[in-house]
Amino acid sequence: MSQTVSSNNKGASIEIDRLAKTFGSVRAVDDVSLTIEPGEFVALLGPSGSGKSTVLMSVAGFERPSAGRIMIGGKDCTRLPPNKRDIGMVFQHYTLFPHLSVGDNVAFPLKMRGVAKAERRRQAEAALEIVRLGGYGDRMPKQLSGGQQQRVALARAIVYNPQVLLMDEPLSALDKNLREEMQIEIKRLHAELGFTVVFVTHDQGEALTMADRIAILKAGRLQQVSPARELYERPSNLFAASFIGEMNMLPVQWDGANATFSEREHIRLPDSASIETVPSGRAVLAVRPERLSVTSPGETGSWRATVSDVVYAGAGSLLITHLHDGSEVRLRVASAGQAPVRPGQAIGIKVPPEAALLYPADAAR
Amino acid sequence: MNPRSLLLNAYVYAVLAFILLPIFIILPMAFSETTYLTFPPQGVTLRWFEEFFGDSRWMAATWFSAKIAALTAITTAVVGTMATYALVRGARTMGTIFQAFLIGPIVVPHIALAVALYLFFQNTGLSGTVFGYVAAHSIIAMPFTVFTVAAALSSVDPALEDAAMSCGANRFNAFRLITLPIILPNVISGGLFAFIISFDEPVIAFFLAGIRDKTLPRMMFDDIEQNLTPIIPAIAVLLTVLSIVVLLAAALLKYLADRNSTAREET
Repeated sequence: MSQTVSSNNKGASIEIDRLAKTFGSVRAVDDVSLTIEPGEFVALLGPSGSGKSTVLMSVAGFERPSAGRIMIGGKDCTRLPPNKRDIGMVFQHYTLFPHLSVGDNVAFPLKMRGVAKAERRRQAEAALEIVRLGGYGDRMPKQLSGGQQQRVALARAIVYNPQVLLMDEPLSALDKNLREEMQIEIKRLHAELGFTVVFVTHDQGEALTMADRIAILKAGRLQQVSPARELYERPSNLFAASFIGEMNMLPVQWDGANATFSEREHIRLPDSASIETVPSGRAVLAVRPERLSVTSPGETGSWRATVSDVVYAGAGSLLITHLHDGSEVRLRVASAGQAPVRPGQAIGIKVPPEAALLYPADAAR
Repeated sequence: MNPRSLLLNAYVYAVLAFILLPIFIILPMAFSETTYLTFPPQGVTLRWFEEFFGDSRWMAATWFSAKIAALTAITTAVVGTMATYALVRGARTMGTIFQAFLIGPIVVPHIALAVALYLFFQNTGLSGTVFGYVAAHSIIAMPFTVFTVAAALSSVDPALEDAAMSCGANRFNAFRLITLPIILPNVISGGLFAFIISFDEPVIAFFLAGIRDKTLPRMMFDDIEQNLTPIIPAIAVLLTVLSIVVLLAAALLKYLADRNSTAREET
């Protein structure tokens, strides 16, 4: 696991232990346990309603868990109000105090901690320097752009050197370019300052590029917690497989060594294809579109398919093909050096056995 | 200008005239030299104003009204803000019920309220007391304060207080240091409205008046019955001017608040 912690490892560990939160009859968070190492950057990723924000708000102290424990730096915080947890937090919509100047916004956490005024100003200016807004202290929040406001919010969250930084979809209100710039900015701050980060997002690209580990949630349950690469290459269940990136999914018959599908195609799979033991019978074969390649039809070991659409997209092309039984298989191939393929053409699809993954069928959805 | 919009303009001015005419009629009457109310007034004198300010009974009633109005303003500003906070931020189901109770006095005829309070206050000895007046006036002024504060509060992002708490502020300080300063101009405006409503409130004053202390509107009623001198229009003019000044103050406050939020530094 890649931990980008700098020399001074000053983050706090976070332990989420069997956390549950129910709203009426809705189980927003259902038995979630997650241990986050000091200085680690963890993204909580999931569709809306997956409970990712509720988990974050429980760590922050704004939600009182129905069951379970939250430990920050080894201390039980489950019943502690947010202001006693010494966390830094960045919200979705900046949440700068509109009646206070940028400098006073950033100095606010210091004021709450009884820091003297001159020292507050100095530290607030230093925090503004860190987010590259030095000299902006006298402006009012509404005089700044959205990106600048969110950087002020970031400065306010880190000004008193918290051990934990919580972020609730902090970049979702920004446009694409600003978002990418802020992603780099937050990564840099994390590397420099070494605090622990919990970052909620529904943007998988953001999660993959930023986090040491990604926790995937669905309907309040934790699906998988893995580093980006493992999550992409070996998703632990069908939901994780379909949620991250593109995935071809084919219903197959599995006999313990071979998967048969589309009436006459089969593939022999190594043991490593199954993340967990898959019983014989109905199963699902999953393979990433970019792991497939085109060969001549009838080549041994290739699947027969008919091209139905070719979408040219510069560096790569998307081929949408159909197998004999009509099931769709998508291929992402490099545009250059590729023999032109036309809709209606019969092709062979070559599948490296190590690229295919097998999941039990009943786990689907 | 085409005939249609000409007609519309004429209509608008007619409505305005209808609303404002009584004020313009009362104005010259306050300066009349006659000792009885008459229209058109004759001559110009400040005698009635002098008489009002020189008469200890009128002054006592004025101060009594001012005291009640000031206390009503403070009561509604504080209680109204707390109530509005609960309505806007609090639980929905109970909120609707409480809202009905708070807004209710707008629809309930003041005379009904006055009779009910009269009976209740008679039995509890609150009739004619400052506390009784302030309680009664706060009830009828509360809806206006609640509306004014709610308008400001509903435009304040609740997440601001969460942000303040994540910065280390406790719940009360999050409200005191963040939400309250933002809505303060509206809280003060709400208080000023309450002041005006209380200061020239006639119906409840009529029922609750004690033998000793009378509010200004009640004194005016008594005076009309006995004398009917131009001192009544003189006081009416003064009350109108007071209302205008207070409303202008509220507007100025709003303007200053808007301007300050673009350029203000912590002191």
